[in-house]
Amino acid sequence: MAQTNALNWFLHRITGTFLIFMLITHFWVQHYDHQAASVTHEVVTEKNEMPDYPEEAKAGVEARFGPDAEATPYQVVMQRLADPVYAVLWKGFNILFLIVALHHGFYGLNNVMTDYIRNPMGRLVAKSLSWTLALGLLIIGMYSVITAGW
Amino acid sequence: MAVDTKERPPATQQTDATAEQESRVQPYRIRTGMFAWMMHRLTGVGLVVYLVIHIWGLTALTDPETFNALIAKYHSPIFKVGEFGLLVAVAYHAMNGLRIVLIDFLGWSPKQKKLFWTLGAVTLTIVAVGGWPSIYALGEWLLGPGSMPTLFL
Repeated sequence: MAQTNALNWFLHRITGTFLIFMLITHFWVQHYDHQAASVTHEVVTEKNEMPDYPEEAKAGVEARFGPDAEATPYQVVMQRLADPVYAVLWKGFNILFLIVALHHGFYGLNNVMTDYIRNPMGRLVAKSLSWTLALGLLIIGMYSVITAGW
Repeated sequence: MAVDTKERPPATQQTDATAEQESRVQPYRIRTGMFAWMMHRLTGVGLVVYLVIHIWGLTALTDPETFNALIAKYHSPIFKVGEFGLLVAVAYHAMNGLRIVLIDFLGWSPKQKKLFWTLGAVTLTIVAVGGWPSIYALGEWLLGPGSMPTLFL
């Protein structure tokens, strides 16, 4: 038990360091790259109104899906996730990102819970429930990533 | 997480108040390191909650209509405010976490005061540069189109 805790303590720092680099990539792609950003940064839209995309995004979607393709948030994301070449790379990145983020987040959460829950049974329940939730999220997350663009 | 150094001797003194404390919640003694640690926990728990919602939301990727509706919602004012708050939490947690890693793995504890303020400045830069698009979008919405400077967008 003591050894697995030391390993997890070590892993927590490793995953944390990895997450810094992965988050920079994630934020850049989702928010700042004019072709790939699904949440285009300069706009607040009225209720349920679709944002307008920059020229780079429109050109990218047309190049990938044909001249009739419309630049909607879904299509912008699919430039990466439905591409025959880059999809594997991006899906791989996203799955790794999921695993690392979930391990880091739920290990941290368990540290916090262990500090405030004193009853051993309560700790066990909290631990089991939280890791079950993490596993569930890993499964649905992987499902979303893998099947995207099929 | 809190490392004792020459500058900061171990906190061995126990006051009567803490000795008699039988409650579940210990009153913390708040110094810079303790404040950093508390904020790390708070942002950490917040980020786990966000992570759960975020992964759950991404199930929308299986259907184009649902996904478009979800992203359209992300462009509403309240989500822009949330986006900025998220960046603040992530930037703080990442930079304070980096500080912990540098102290634990590279033994930078003698330099920890300097490290604390340097990373604080880096965090502020990340928040200012990364958060500008959200502030810009909110400003344009509140004050009318063309009222915000474009800067580097």
